[in-house]
Amino acid sequence: MSTNATAAHKEEAVYVYQAPVRLWHWVNAIAIVALCVTGYFIGSPLPSVHGEASDSFLFGWIRYIHFSAAYILIVGFLLRVYWAFVGNHHARQIFIPRVWTAAFWKELGHEIMWYAMIAKQPMKYVGHNPLATLVMHIMFVWGIVFMIFTGLALYGEGAGMGSWQYNLFSSWLIPLFGQSQDVHSWHHLGMWVIICFAIIHIYAAVREDIMSRQSIISSMFSGWRTFRDDKPADD
Amino acid sequence: MTETFYDVMRRQGITRRSFLKFCSLTAAALGLGPSFAPQIAHAMETKPRIPVLWLHGLECTCCSESFIRSAHPLAKDVILSMISLDYDDTIMAAAGHQAEAIVEETIQKYDGNFILACEGNPPLNQEGMSCIIAGKPYLEQLKKAAEHCKAIISWGSCASWGCVQAARPNPTQATPIHKVPGLAPKPIIKVPGCPPIAEVMTAVITYILTFERFPELDRQGRPKMFYSQRIHDKCYRRPHFDAGQFVESFDDEGARKGYCLYKVGCKGPTTYNACSTVRWNGGLSFPIQSGHPCFGCSEDGFWDKGSFYDRLTDIHGFGVEADADKIGGTAAAVVGAAAAAHAAVSAVKRARQKGGES
Amino acid sequence: MTTMQTPNGFNLDTSGQRVVVDPVTRIEGHMRCEVNVDENNMIRNAVSTGTMWRGLEVILKGRDPRDAWAFTQRICGVCTGTHALTSVRAVEDALGIDIPENANSIRNIMQLSLQVHDHLVHFYHLHALDWVNPVNALKADPKATSELQQAVSPHHPMSSPGYFRDVQNRLKKFVESGQLGPFKNGYWTNPAYLLPPEADLMAVTHYLEALDFQKEIMTTRTIFGGKDTHPNWLVGGVPCAINIDGDLAAGAPINMDRLNYVSGVIDRAMAFVKNVYIPDIIAIGKFYKGWLYGGGLSGKSVLAYGDIPDRANDYSASNLMMPRGAVINGNLKEVHEVDLRDPEQIQEFVPHSWYSYPDEKKGLHPWDGITEPNYVLGPNAKGTSTNIAEIDEAAKYSWIKAPRWRGNAMEVGPLARYVVGYASGHEHITEQINRTLRALDVPVDALFSTLGRTAARALECEWAAEMQRYFMDKLIANIKAGDSSTANTEKFDPKTWPTEVKGVGFTEAPRGALAHWVRIKDTKIDNYQCVVPTTWNGSPRDNEGNIGAFEASLMNTYMERPEEPVEILRTLHSFDPCLACSTH
Ligand code: HEM
Ligand code: HEM
Ligand code: NFV
Ligand code: SF4
Ligand code: SF4
Ligand code: F3S
Ligand SMILES: [Mg+2]
Repeated sequence: MSTNATAAHKEEAVYVYQAPVRLWHWVNAIAIVALCVTGYFIGSPLPSVHGEASDSFLFGWIRYIHFSAAYILIVGFLLRVYWAFVGNHHARQIFIPRVWTAAFWKELGHEIMWYAMIAKQPMKYVGHNPLATLVMHIMFVWGIVFMIFTGLALYGEGAGMGSWQYNLFSSWLIPLFGQSQDVHSWHHLGMWVIICFAIIHIYAAVREDIMSRQSIISSMFSGWRTFRDDKPADD
Repeated sequence: MTETFYDVMRRQGITRRSFLKFCSLTAAALGLGPSFAPQIAHAMETKPRIPVLWLHGLECTCCSESFIRSAHPLAKDVILSMISLDYDDTIMAAAGHQAEAIVEETIQKYDGNFILACEGNPPLNQEGMSCIIAGKPYLEQLKKAAEHCKAIISWGSCASWGCVQAARPNPTQATPIHKVPGLAPKPIIKVPGCPPIAEVMTAVITYILTFERFPELDRQGRPKMFYSQRIHDKCYRRPHFDAGQFVESFDDEGARKGYCLYKVGCKGPTTYNACSTVRWNGGLSFPIQSGHPCFGCSEDGFWDKGSFYDRLTDIHGFGVEADADKIGGTAAAVVGAAAAAHAAVSAVKRARQKGGES
Repeated sequence: MTTMQTPNGFNLDTSGQRVVVDPVTRIEGHMRCEVNVDENNMIRNAVSTGTMWRGLEVILKGRDPRDAWAFTQRICGVCTGTHALTSVRAVEDALGIDIPENANSIRNIMQLSLQVHDHLVHFYHLHALDWVNPVNALKADPKATSELQQAVSPHHPMSSPGYFRDVQNRLKKFVESGQLGPFKNGYWTNPAYLLPPEADLMAVTHYLEALDFQKEIMTTRTIFGGKDTHPNWLVGGVPCAINIDGDLAAGAPINMDRLNYVSGVIDRAMAFVKNVYIPDIIAIGKFYKGWLYGGGLSGKSVLAYGDIPDRANDYSASNLMMPRGAVINGNLKEVHEVDLRDPEQIQEFVPHSWYSYPDEKKGLHPWDGITEPNYVLGPNAKGTSTNIAEIDEAAKYSWIKAPRWRGNAMEVGPLARYVVGYASGHEHITEQINRTLRALDVPVDALFSTLGRTAARALECEWAAEMQRYFMDKLIANIKAGDSSTANTEKFDPKTWPTEVKGVGFTEAPRGALAHWVRIKDTKIDNYQCVVPTTWNGSPRDNEGNIGAFEASLMNTYMERPEEPVEILRTLHSFDPCLACSTH
């Protein structure tokens, strides 16, 4: 599995993130940024534009971008789920954290100590560390699912009764939350949850890139994981 | 001999021709094509007036007030010619024992064949005695009538959802009809709104009489014909919404030009009702047309979502009561600050370690 | 002990037969009434019980004060709007917000249209059946009815014999169908009904005409407030922006088309009241003028806050077109100044109400009011707590609190306003009263009766219909002068508010003096208390044993048949009780 590192690296390198995963990651990241910006403005619109209503479609565009990005996010997510089945074992990691193993919890403990700056050395991982896996599983996988479900429920309201979005999502999700306004509020709150974890995620990626024993950011571009020491990997 | 709707109309000196015209108008009011007029005519020619018990619980009686404002059909014609309004304490001549006797008589004579129209709702706290009828909890009268009725109409947001008396902290534990413990399982048609539109109320009755069936209901029990779309979907200010033209504050330039009321709190995008299509008082206007945002009066729990003038409404839970931006923005700021602090400590630590190593 | 005298001068005797009326119907909301009738069928003790409570004052705590109008509007859908107006005034008073002149005119038109609508609907659809016997109308000669109609109201177009014959036929078949609907189990054989068949037929015809017409009266509020019932209001003014000839005026809430619509409605309402309601009152009144029961407190103590400010933002008595003041001990020579802020003047008591206070011997001014439910029956009640046979009025017995003005139980409402107006020499009131007394050929004292109450309501309706025209003209003149502003939003944003303020707002609701007291703390409602017309009129006893207006008015009334409460209904209905209002 391990082959020669690129010329830039002396260490051993492992191919972790297959192209579809990398492609998905960046498409997903861009879609989410677009969704957050447009979503924010859907909740709190920009100052009014004046002139003829027919001359302007500002709010329409903001919503259009939101919905376009939403469908890109949805399609990307579905493909990513497909890839979790057919891709390498790293492609499954964030979908199925190995919570039933004792090692997972032990290493999770160690990773927390590392972030709390108690442990001197982080462990060495080819894929994600257990903490990252768990957080990504909960916040990103379920977070995105939550946004897709609530988003489609809202979309179905505009598409109208009879649309597949309404039948599959709005019809049961709206009464479940109480009423439409509640779905808006929770969809909106979901954005902030994703923003919070995106902050942590990006911070952790940069920090790990600097302080851990393996490459992080470049891996998400190249797919290759490189290491700064020769000790065996922990996962 | 019980007489039919048609008999009644004929007796009133109404010609066959104007009777048929009435039928096609009714068809139009129900959003049906002209081909339905003969069907309506047939129904009215052959049916006796259906008895209705209209019970009042905790309420403001505004649903009744709305009802009498119906322009087509007129409330007068509904009461005199379509239904037999045998009990309605707001307008009935009898009082006390003589009034209560009517409930019994109706049950005996029309068991399983009368409509129970509920305005308002029963309280469960105070032994049910924050709403007393004939010395007993209203709850008892309601349960008894429900036991024997053919179906229930829940008028307004009170009967449908609980409405204002059920708003936090709901001191009487006012309970919407479909959630009343121990209520006989009868079909319930919810006609929410605070109050509902008069013509929607009379159309629901006319529909039932005409087609001898209930209108098709959505998952939450509302007639699809009037509650399947949001105010926003047919709002005449919608082009201003899409253009990004909003009223920023009342009586500003946008308000005078009829811009969209979204930013002053309009709940049209989240409210299922027929206001922007049927409109009010014979199609004259509706809240948005008068310059006030819709505040969602036909929606479940609309009282408890924070100020009517806020676009982002409150989320309850976790012991806080604030909108998503306040909760989320605060959380994001905390996370950002924590990451920055963590970064600073990490940098110091790393510098020390590096210092130690060298 | 079965007899006692109340401090406000009524002799109560509980020895006779106890008659219970529950529910009292043809009112708004739920109410119970018990009386003791002596061997001569005279009422010697009266107990009125408010039998519903929702807790709006509890629910309002912690809310945004700008929303309070919508909550309090749902106190009642019959006097819809009056609570909303009272509420925005209370909040504006607390925050020191002045409203534009146009907003004042529009609010007045909305409030006046409520007076017109509510009074008209009350008379025809809630009260008329106490005087009018629809079954007797079947015996009428349509031709004689037509003559009667033309005699009492020459300008009303619907008066042909054929018209009355059609109505009579409709009625006949309705009765014959056996499905009597709302008229079922009425008291149609009771000798208390005195009208000849022709008058009965005329009145029943107008019952139906009024039912058709009433829906039009309120459409002024549909234009200004978007819907009726429960139109929309706004702290700081009105939501309906005006745009007469500017860019996009067609899309504006108020433009020329809308103003024309309102104007037409006002004209038709004025005509209907003048040609139908007023003549009916005189015509029916003539047959009942010997029935002089029901005066109660009206000749002793009456209260009005005043309403309909001519100029905006001036709530002093001299600027109010409806009279303000209090009369006590029957002394019409002295009209007392009323101050809603004075902690000594208006207080609410609860010793006979289903609420608790820390000290129930004392009354509380509404700014410091408490609403804490406490449902208990007295030891002498008969039945059980969930199946009351007879109430014990010596203990707590009503969901209505007992408001008092300087310790006095007061009557409020159209008659109270007309008494205060008459006592203080209000021009239009004096003219209307004198004209009516002349038409009926009765002395001034006749005013203090059930019929006086019913007549005052009609006169007020007539006046209110005309006043709409005054404010419509004023609105147009102001727009013409270049002022089209409708809202002052300077202090709409809660960030601009002081941390702690309090205010009071008042109106003359159709049923009488209404006020809301609000305390605002940290931009939220800290306390909100409403003292409502039917709280005054339907008041239970207080700590000193004074009886309220309903109870007082039933005293010493003769009942034809104690088991048929026609007379009780008659007098209670003359107040137009609203129980949802009274307890809120
Ligand atoms: C990470 C993903 C997403 C984020 C951060 C996001 C964010 C937001 C925000 C903040 C709002 C405004 C809510 C409000 O205050 O009313 C919104 C509205 C909406 N979002 Fe999303 N959203 C996401 C995904 C989606 C998806 C997948 C869909 C599916 C189609 C969707 C459809 C909608 C719709 C229909 C609205 C309502 C638009 C309107 O009312 O005009 N969103 N979104
Ligand atoms: C500048 C922005 C971003 C950078 C630099 C970045 C970087 C990375 C890196 C380096 C990894 C690999 C971590 C590891 O190997 O443990 C990763 C994984 C991941 N990132 Fe990001 N990320 C960014 C934005 C986002 C955003 C906005 C999201 C979604 C909200 C996101 C979701 C994910 C997910 C779900 C994975 C796991 C991929 C998998 O295993 O399938 N990332 N990211
Ligand atoms: N009492 C009372 Fe009302 C009136 N008029 C309110 O203020 O009726 Ni519902
Ligand atoms: S639903 Fe609203 S309008 Fe109808 S009775 Fe209840 S509070 Fe009044
Ligand atoms: S005014 Fe309200 S319902 Fe109409 S378009 Fe704007 S947000 Fe939608
Ligand atoms: S507030 Fe209610 S009346 Fe219609 S426009 Fe909104 S649903
Ligand atoms: Mg009160």
